Amino acid sequence: MLKNINFLDGIRVADFCWAGAGPFCTKVFSDFGAEVIKVESTERVDSVRSGGPFKDGIPGINRSGYFASRNSGKKSITIDLKSDEGRKLALRLIEKSDVMTNNFGPGVMQRLGLGYEDVIKIKPDIIDLSMPMYGQDGPNSSLLGVGMTISAVSGLTGLTAYASADPVGPGTHYPDHAANPYHSAFAILSALRHRRITGRGMKIDLAQVESTVNFLGPAIINFAVTGQDPRPIGNRSVSQAPHNLFRCKESDSWCAIAAQSENEWLALANVIGGQGLANNPSFHGVQNRLDKTQEIESLVSDWTRQHTVSEAVSILQKVGVTTARVACSKDLLTDDLHLKEREFWQKIDHPEMGITTFTSPPYVIDGNRLQLKRPPLIGEHTDAVLRDILGCTDEEIRSLNSAGVLK
Amino acid sequence: MKSIQPYTGVTVLDFTYELGSYATRLFADLGATVIRIELEEGAADRKQFKDSTNPEARFLAENTFAFRNASKSTLIFESSNAEIIESHLLKADLIFLEKGGLFFEKIDEIRQKNSRAIITYLSPYGLNGPNIDLEANDLTLQAAGGIAWMSGRAEVSPLRLPLDQSAMMTSVYAAVASAAAFFDAEKNNNGHLIDVSAQECIAHSLQNALQVYDLEGRISSRDGEGTRDATEDIFLCKDGHMLLASPLSLGPSWGSLVAWIKEAGHPAFDTLNQTHWLDPKWRKTANAKKEFRKEFADFIIQYTKNEIMEHALKRKIVMSPINNISEVIGDKQLAYRGYFKELKINNYDKMVSYPGAPYQFSEDIWSISSPPYFSV
Repeated sequence: MLKNINFLDGIRVADFCWAGAGPFCTKVFSDFGAEVIKVESTERVDSVRSGGPFKDGIPGINRSGYFASRNSGKKSITIDLKSDEGRKLALRLIEKSDVMTNNFGPGVMQRLGLGYEDVIKIKPDIIDLSMPMYGQDGPNSSLLGVGMTISAVSGLTGLTAYASADPVGPGTHYPDHAANPYHSAFAILSALRHRRITGRGMKIDLAQVESTVNFLGPAIINFAVTGQDPRPIGNRSVSQAPHNLFRCKESDSWCAIAAQSENEWLALANVIGGQGLANNPSFHGVQNRLDKTQEIESLVSDWTRQHTVSEAVSILQKVGVTTARVACSKDLLTDDLHLKEREFWQKIDHPEMGITTFTSPPYVIDGNRLQLKRPPLIGEHTDAVLRDILGCTDEEIRSLNSAGVLK
Repeated sequence: MKSIQPYTGVTVLDFTYELGSYATRLFADLGATVIRIELEEGAADRKQFKDSTNPEARFLAENTFAFRNASKSTLIFESSNAEIIESHLLKADLIFLEKGGLFFEKIDEIRQKNSRAIITYLSPYGLNGPNIDLEANDLTLQAAGGIAWMSGRAEVSPLRLPLDQSAMMTSVYAAVASAAAFFDAEKNNNGHLIDVSAQECIAHSLQNALQVYDLEGRISSRDGEGTRDATEDIFLCKDGHMLLASPLSLGPSWGSLVAWIKEAGHPAFDTLNQTHWLDPKWRKTANAKKEFRKEFADFIIQYTKNEIMEHALKRKIVMSPINNISEVIGDKQLAYRGYFKELKINNYDKMVSYPGAPYQFSEDIWSISSPPYFSV
């Protein structure tokens, strides 16, 4: 059942983040009931607002699904931060906030007069998250980056490969969608708890490369112990065989199969080759199968190619073999009955996009799904925030508007 | 440790062994007392390397354990510890359970004993739904969650991400939800049950693939056709590989790239300076990718990784070398920031480099200590 779950009710976030990783972090806060005020610009529009995909393929800064998926439940205000009046408004907003966030490169907030040293003068207990690619300081700190280059320098791209010395890398800007937004959110939540017990705020510097390297922790330790680079193993395993993605009957359809135990191998062998294969002692024992990985994969593949992916998965799951369809976005949205039953998808109405599908946060709390709220139109809440939070009069708002500060 | 840490005084009972063990480590590094509770023969993660006869598998399992369980302590689940464990269950602030681990079927009993605790239950497919009893591992979860589909070359199979990323994704989502619930529980004095499904965590991390299908009816493919700019690709350089990402939407990156090629006097400039390269939609086609690869590959092969980094910094181009792990450990930026930490692992009887904190705080509130002793 969908329900408002307001664990962070009463927390206000002045959110200067844009693009992918930063807004995905602050979305945690708006989804959990914090008031997240996204500071935007109509002059330099958030790149995911203009990047699409768009509802019905028709471009528009309020029609982007990518933006919508990162900004549910937030308020949007537009301010020209480069103007003196705009900077003052931003400072007033920060003064009324518990948390401020940005994912600009190093020095940008300082140049705007909104650096940590500036804001603690007016809000000593602020929690200030910055999340530049390589950190606030150091010889490469000014390197521009996106998720894919973060993967590249952190070692992830090289290990996402079918074979050594032939990197493929994640097909997405992967660090933007898990490691960096969620490490950031955890850091802020921890800083809020720290403030609760000490009364002090703090600055958080999340270097996205450093955060991502943690997702490769065992590989770092491996190298530290042996002095040797770990080898990429693709879809295979160093401890199980067969363990791979296998082509099925339809075009570009695949199923994942992993025999995690001797019993699973026997069950799989029975299905694909009958008692003869199951009784073949040369495939008994995991080391024997690892030694004959290619031969076994060939046997499995001969069988999966004769079946649709649904058939293959269904047959193997029934006999207890670890298997799953390699699901694409369409499979997840339209065919996955498990996700449907768990109410993973939410339909939300939006003034320009109409009703579209949103992904629920991936947890059920006390039996309820967290009810999402729609993302904001650009600048939708400017007047309301200025009036209700910053205490501006209608006359002041008109004056700021005509001076071009609220754009 | 000079400061009070965020979770000083907070007790976390950790019954996890795979999907949740990095989540509890995040709490441990920030001051929580995290107690692993496991059978005498070890929880599944410990057993994995104790029982393994394959040296490579054993080594990987050992280092995965060492990484995810730093800063924790351990308590053996046996009759002589029954009272202590019972007392912990009554008083713990957060309790992490994992399907297949100790106590995973005792959620209701634990909630009755300790109604103010946050109980976080991690599993492949969650607490309800038709698939909850399916066997799963990292490969099948990455498949079922949709992320395996997103990587790889079009002409061969999709490709999963390395090093058990399903567990890493699940852990960070679980840590965040648990921390938010704990923030509420302290204020309102009531506990919560959080059901975290690994499949959902992965499906929540697919960039914009779900929106691309929902809004435009297109399926994002692993070679990126229709969704990825032609420049977003891997190229051979003089001493390895590099990654470039210069779509028009990334500020000055494309203009600077073309200017560099012109300045170098390379013939690729004549092609890349043509007006069709200013069409973002065309740049996502297979033809664009083919044309760009032909031109740029010939240009970038003459540069080393170090030179590529220098040009990226100087010219504001979004590109970088593709580092192997030894190059990550030798990274001068990470060294400058004192990122890696030396930690003793008993099994190796020596100091070992660990990844440092994923975040730096202006107060000294993050710390790391050796994983609990494990015999082999």
